[in-house]
Amino acid sequence: MRGVLHKDMKFVTVGTSNVGFDRLIKKMDEIAGKSDEEIIMQIGGTKYKPINAQWFTFLDDEKMSDFYSKANMIITHDGAGTLLIALSLGKPIVVVPRLKKYNECSYANKFDLAEVLRKNNRAIVVYDIEQLEEAIQKVTSLQYRTIERNTRLISFLREYITTLDGGIKNDYKRH
Amino acid sequence: MKILLTCSQGGHVTEMLFLMDAFDGQDVVFLMYEHPTIRNLQYKTHRIEKIDISMWRMLKAFQKIFTILKKEKPDLIVSTGSEIAIPTFVIGKMMGIKTVYIESWCRVKTKSGTGRLLYYIADVFLVQWPDLVRIYGKKARYEGGIT
Repeated sequence: MRGVLHKDMKFVTVGTSNVGFDRLIKKMDEIAGKSDEEIIMQIGGTKYKPINAQWFTFLDDEKMSDFYSKANMIITHDGAGTLLIALSLGKPIVVVPRLKKYNECSYANKFDLAEVLRKNNRAIVVYDIEQLEEAIQKVTSLQYRTIERNTRLISFLREYITTLDGGIKNDYKRH
Repeated sequence: MKILLTCSQGGHVTEMLFLMDAFDGQDVVFLMYEHPTIRNLQYKTHRIEKIDISMWRMLKAFQKIFTILKKEKPDLIVSTGSEIAIPTFVIGKMMGIKTVYIESWCRVKTKSGTGRLLYYIADVFLVQWPDLVRIYGKKARYEGGIT
């Protein structure tokens, strides 16, 4: 798959779950059939195999980052990993939450993360798959900024480690 | 200080990698799954079979993780979830190792299965969204999220 990427590519990813996401992949394949743009899909455990787009099941995160960085848009499920990476790269994002009623996930749907992103204008969220094509057209016109890395949590962890580790030693040094 | 970092696949790994600055200069060891999406990191890594929701694999994991913790003797265990942290924290607690659990970034207003359990075990229990402090209870702390 490497070495064939064009600059304007849409990347579809369904994360590391073994549970497939047929609804999204089928619809994206249909959209790919009507489009000249390059679309690449990571389909995981999805049973449906795309015919109009290049696809693969899983790759490690280093190889995946190639696709993320070259894509002009990320179309993905409501997973923390894919969304964190897409946000950190400042890419336009279309989120299609997995729905329990279609057995696309094992947890009861709350859509918390998708809704936070939608409210903060950081992604377009699509619940009805028939609205995916429209969302893809709309998301390109929105302006996105990359997320700022919050350093508070990292500082907290560092301080906790210091307290555990060198608290006593540091006290000695100070006196 | 020796720190064992443990996480299941997917977002849990991504979140941990976003936090690596916190462990700069420490002796870091990873405990993760054998999974095609997890590349080899530049850190020493122990890999076990994916537990998921299998009780049998959970039991096997307990045995494996016990051996790993006995050998590595970390001073601290940190996890971003999910179920791989259950046996690791339970055994770690019995061995007197300090534990820090960080609830996943995708948990905005609901508890995760792992969090529900480890709330009672972890020495420090962190959540990444303020609303969750109220939902989990007093022990939960919000000290910022990854973003």
